[in-house]
Amino acid sequence: MNESTTKPQLTPLLSNATLARVERLRLCPNRRLTNRTRGEHAVGSSGASIDFSDYRDYVAGDDIRYVDWNIFARLRRPYLKLYAHEEELHVVVLMDASSSMISEGKFERARQLAAACSTMALLGTERVSLFAGNDFGERPSMLTGCSGRPARRRVFEFLEGLEPGGDSPIDLSIAAALRRHRGRGIAIVLSDFLTTGDVSRSFNLLHSAGLEIFAVQILGPNEIAPDLTGDVRLVDCETGRTLDVSTARELVDIYHEHLTALQMHLATQCRRRNGRFESVSTDETLETILFDTLLRRGWIQ
Amino acid sequence: MNWPGFSTIANAWWLLLLIPLLVVYFLKLKRSRLEVTSLALWQSVINDQRVNSPFQKFRRNILLWLQIAILLLLVLAAMQPYLTGAAERATYLPILIDCSASMAAIDPQTGQSRLDVAKQQVTELIENQLPGQQLVLIAAHTTADQLTEFTGNRRILLDALGSLRVREVPGHLEEALRMTQALAKTVPVESAVLYSDGNFPERVRFALPFRVNYQLLPSAGSNAGITAFNARLASSRDWDVFLRVESSGDVTGQLELLHDGKAIGKQPFVLGRDESQRLTFRVESATSTSLEARLTIDRSSFDSLSCDNVAWLDLPAARPLRVFASPGLASFRHALTAMPGIDVFPRDNQLPQRSVPYDLVISDQAADESLIASVHLLVGVTPEDAAGLVEHASGLTRFLDWDRTSPLLRHVQLRDVEIADSVQPAAGINGGSFEERGYSILASGLNGPLIISKRSGSQQRFYLLFHTNRSTLEFRVAFPVLVANVAQLARQEASLGDVRSLQAGVLPPIKLKPDTEYVVTGPDRTTQQIRSDTTGEAAGITAGLAGRYFVTRDGLAELSVAANLLSTEETTLRAVDTIQFDEQSVSSSTQLLENDRPLWSTLTLLAFVGLLVEWWYFQRPSRLALARRSR
Repeated sequence: MNESTTKPQLTPLLSNATLARVERLRLCPNRRLTNRTRGEHAVGSSGASIDFSDYRDYVAGDDIRYVDWNIFARLRRPYLKLYAHEEELHVVVLMDASSSMISEGKFERARQLAAACSTMALLGTERVSLFAGNDFGERPSMLTGCSGRPARRRVFEFLEGLEPGGDSPIDLSIAAALRRHRGRGIAIVLSDFLTTGDVSRSFNLLHSAGLEIFAVQILGPNEIAPDLTGDVRLVDCETGRTLDVSTARELVDIYHEHLTALQMHLATQCRRRNGRFESVSTDETLETILFDTLLRRGWIQ
Repeated sequence: MNWPGFSTIANAWWLLLLIPLLVVYFLKLKRSRLEVTSLALWQSVINDQRVNSPFQKFRRNILLWLQIAILLLLVLAAMQPYLTGAAERATYLPILIDCSASMAAIDPQTGQSRLDVAKQQVTELIENQLPGQQLVLIAAHTTADQLTEFTGNRRILLDALGSLRVREVPGHLEEALRMTQALAKTVPVESAVLYSDGNFPERVRFALPFRVNYQLLPSAGSNAGITAFNARLASSRDWDVFLRVESSGDVTGQLELLHDGKAIGKQPFVLGRDESQRLTFRVESATSTSLEARLTIDRSSFDSLSCDNVAWLDLPAARPLRVFASPGLASFRHALTAMPGIDVFPRDNQLPQRSVPYDLVISDQAADESLIASVHLLVGVTPEDAAGLVEHASGLTRFLDWDRTSPLLRHVQLRDVEIADSVQPAAGINGGSFEERGYSILASGLNGPLIISKRSGSQQRFYLLFHTNRSTLEFRVAFPVLVANVAQLARQEASLGDVRSLQAGVLPPIKLKPDTEYVVTGPDRTTQQIRSDTTGEAAGITAGLAGRYFVTRDGLAELSVAANLLSTEETTLRAVDTIQFDEQSVSSSTQLLENDRPLWSTLTLLAFVGLLVEWWYFQRPSRLALARRSR
């Protein structure tokens, strides 16, 4: 019997089958950027967990409760026994909800990726925060302090309730979100990154805030390979600005070069900050992105 | 290298359309709006140095360049350029097409007649007619026919050309050139094109007021034909029939003579190139009859012209010559009586019969001028219409000069003839006054004309302005010669001596009932209406084809007349390379007339191709779109 007929759909963003696969996956950050609060991420040898980590020489002032007396009895020298310290990791999902994300299903794909990543984080006992930037200068839509499996419902409802629109560029949205966020961990940035602003500054902010950057560029097919002919007047859907382009077909190749250069620039900017970058198309299915692209790149495991 | 010319260079003003084209293009009034997610990338694309480089600017405006090229091509086409050829570019161009009998000669290789070849060349000339150029088609044969007016309408010209047929008559250029000269008085004609096989007299008595481009058509195959068909009365019942057969190449065949439809003789002949052979037959006939000669060429020989293979000759009934000689002219009567085959009237002791037709009237009475005869010789009579031109005076005179080629004065020596009565022109009268009234001066004395003649219709009248009994003419040898000449002339007019076949073209006047309508049916079944005049003569019957013409009235046959080609020039197909005009000569050109090549159609085609290229360039899918589609 088909599962969908027996089990109600938990969220329209993810099918039950996809959600079931997502629940078994975890985010894999390159660095252990964790918070001091106790969590499940082992961050060093001086922790208070039950997992043994290492030995070191005793120095004056050390708590003698951690001296390994068996070693002392054999060697007649005090050595301190160190245990791994597990801390909490904060996953921040920063979504671009401006008007540019409306077309070609980009915003829908961003919501699906946000839901999947949030699910992975919540089931990994991470703390999850979600920010969605719409209008420039306005307070971003946000959902903070989610942790644990029960918080999935809140996360899904928040994502389902998001409405795209507005003119806020992603760099300003990131800056606005960071003004309201505290905590180290992972910043998953979901945007098309088609902005005239300087994303390197935004990435610096994320990096300095102790967030490892997971940047996902979501593009539509017409943005990857625009099919333009003749003389056209391009209209920016966010700002309403126009740009006259003649013999657009001749410029498509140059456009493609510039798009590749932008993606390389974004990847470089992320790599410099120990981050990751991936560009996906809305042509690709969510399953392909999650279980093929991101899995093979080691974003999740 | 020939630079192209332009027929309507004023259309270059259309180049001003480039201005609105450029303005409209750069204003981009028709730019379509397309919403994109972000202009960020596009802005960087536009700011790319390559896009703004000169070459990229050119590429960006390639559609504009295509549009400019299309406009230039269309404007050039509107200016109607042409590559200059050897053909005439005159605005008004007469085209003279020889359609004499030899133009029907067939080329054995192609099977085309020379008229067909001429039609092809003229058709090409008409098809490549330059804009604004007007042509007129003139058919040249014995006379000339204007087939069209000056027109640039190709359909009219081609229809007229298609209806052009060969006339089985000898070719002459004078009439066609005179017609062209007359047309040149209405429009400026600088030159004319003549298409001919060169089969016409080398000498053309015409002063050219324009240039003639003489296009000599290629020669045809060999030909043999009948060029002469005559008969002479040998006795009261027998006719000696003479035929001449000529050939332009080696040919063998035979000639058959039919008498009233029955073969009465057949003679073979063998002819080399430009050779002729005279064939003689004896035909016995006391009544009027018809002879037909048929030429048959052996199968081993080629005959390119068929219309000269048949000839007809109508023989009149053999009878004595009927001569009315005034009883007062005893010397004339005496001379006539001595000649055989002549009946002299009125007979002795008989009154003259004035209502009976004669063949010859010789009289010194002005009243006898009304007697019915084809030849009149009036002695000492001044014609009424020339009465004011001469005055009679006393005093001796004698002949000063005379026309020795005139049939009347042939072999007549008038030098020692003395005339008692002097004849002198009236005051203020000169030789031109006689010619104005239709008279020819055959002999002139010391003071003025002495013998004049006038032909009116079929009647020939000679006037001796002095009386022979007042001169020494009757005592000179010249007198019987003069009488014999006038008798021979009368025989010829009455067809009693030598009988010659009639040539096609215009038939001589024929005798019919006075003032009556007749229908003449030609060999090709075409008919023409004629009306005889008050004397019963019907003149001006057109006979463009060789064959028998039947004259009918109310459906009943009255008589028939046969017309023949009988032309040595036409049969031998001789070609004149150089035409000798009065003041200049024109050489032929055997090369095809190279027409001006209009380029407007090519340019229009190029413009259309450019339009298709622009459309394709504008509509072609991008490589990325193709790749995406293939996925």
